[in-house]
Amino acid sequence: MRFAEAPLILLADTTENALNWTVLTPVVAGALAIWYLLPSPQKRPLFGGLIAGLVAFAGVAAFLFQGLGHTIPATIEAIIFFGFSGSAILFAGLMITNPNPARSGLCFAMVVLSTCGLFLLLAAPFLMAATIIIYAGAIIVTFLFVIMLSNQAGPSSADLRSREPVLAVGVGFILLATLLVGLQRVYDYRSVQAVIDESELLAKAEKTPAEYLTPRKDSDLGKQVDLTPKAKAYIATAKAALQKMKLAAPEQTGDSDLGWHASVKAAENAIADLERTPFKENDVESVREDTATIARCLTYLKNVREAGGVADDVTLSPYGEVKQVGDGPKKMPAANIAALGRVLFTDHLLAVELAGTLLLVATVGAIVIASGRREKSR
Amino acid sequence: MISLSHYLTVGAILFTLGLIGFLTRRNLIVMFLCAEMMLQGVAINFVAFSKHHGNMHGQVFTMFIIAVAACEAGIALALFLSLYRRKRTLDVSVWQDLREQGIDETVDTEPLLITPEEPDPVLPKAGHLPKRPLEETHV
Repeated sequence: MRFAEAPLILLADTTENALNWTVLTPVVAGALAIWYLLPSPQKRPLFGGLIAGLVAFAGVAAFLFQGLGHTIPATIEAIIFFGFSGSAILFAGLMITNPNPARSGLCFAMVVLSTCGLFLLLAAPFLMAATIIIYAGAIIVTFLFVIMLSNQAGPSSADLRSREPVLAVGVGFILLATLLVGLQRVYDYRSVQAVIDESELLAKAEKTPAEYLTPRKDSDLGKQVDLTPKAKAYIATAKAALQKMKLAAPEQTGDSDLGWHASVKAAENAIADLERTPFKENDVESVREDTATIARCLTYLKNVREAGGVADDVTLSPYGEVKQVGDGPKKMPAANIAALGRVLFTDHLLAVELAGTLLLVATVGAIVIASGRREKSR
Repeated sequence: MISLSHYLTVGAILFTLGLIGFLTRRNLIVMFLCAEMMLQGVAINFVAFSKHHGNMHGQVFTMFIIAVAACEAGIALALFLSLYRRKRTLDVSVWQDLREQGIDETVDTEPLLITPEEPDPVLPKAGHLPKRPLEETHV
């Protein structure tokens, strides 16, 4: 990449370069906004932080709409998702930037409530109720009690300062950029879909388009013949797409001819075959067969990845799942609490016992630490 | 349809904001709440994966997160109370004697330009009239 091309590539909406605008906008604007709004001894006007925060919000929305390669239809689900996630992020930002600890606590309660909305959207009603009761009901109230008890003299000077804001914001947003780039790399299937579409076109065509086929000349006999640029580009993108699908392969049963490993192998063979002979030999039948194989295998791999493959080599009880009918998103058990209880007391029984012991030990420890008997006896 | 990756994005953002808050804020309780917010980000990831794979194991993990967070809250509250009894402040910087050897003490050098808010008025004991300026009447 030449230096002069760099700004254009940063703005281009491709997944080939890691730092495209969908990642850069929320990260840079968010870092500016958080750094600007963090408590500081110098009085900063609110205006700049607000503008940076709005840009960061727009950037997050753009990342969710554009950066992940899924189109979001305007359904009720999407509206609820954007409402709850937007309020979660907004109150999280307010919580870490507000100098008053009591207001921070109330903002944290709002973050918890928004998260509970997301839990409900993710078919986890029991967790929603438990989180509201435990976090918003118990933890927040006890901490507000401590804040009221200890801050009777008004906000202290420590609350009006922050420690190493530039370094902390830098570290945090570099982490966020890494996570967003990773998410984009793994979950954006647009490049794979482009290869599938091109393969299907080639497979359905009566005659392979001329720009793919190496022209035959008598003078070429016995010489090394190169592929045409179009065919080269097609093979390169197909290889890249297959490489992407091979990353973090979910374990599948490999016995059928449409299993994960069989599909990968078939697609690899078809690509190698195309690269070696058919585009040069002008063999239309072979081209159609190979491209059809590539399209079928990539579609299968993509569907498995999007639907979430199930590990067959892990032995778990069947209680937490329902029989899946057809393709598409997996179904969850309708009786959420019953299924959760069955899984808890079959697969995770030891963990439940350990969690109970941990709670008991924590209770005893909290009483011992807070009672302050030792201080009195001194 | 809202896919798995959207929820992972929201979880990543909550985790990052919690991390920044934990590193910068100096109030013990706000630091603790920021750690809890990082746990919330992780919990969103677990529940999203649970839906993605169509089984309950992610939700079970989240239940254990809640249990551990409750233990943590109890212990942290007790610790904060006993720390507050010794130094009469929730600022972590007063405990920097516990830092590693060879690291300089952090001192607040920037002057505080913002005046802290006025403390709330304290009422006298019952039975005493509070001191107040004489009322002026314009009749």
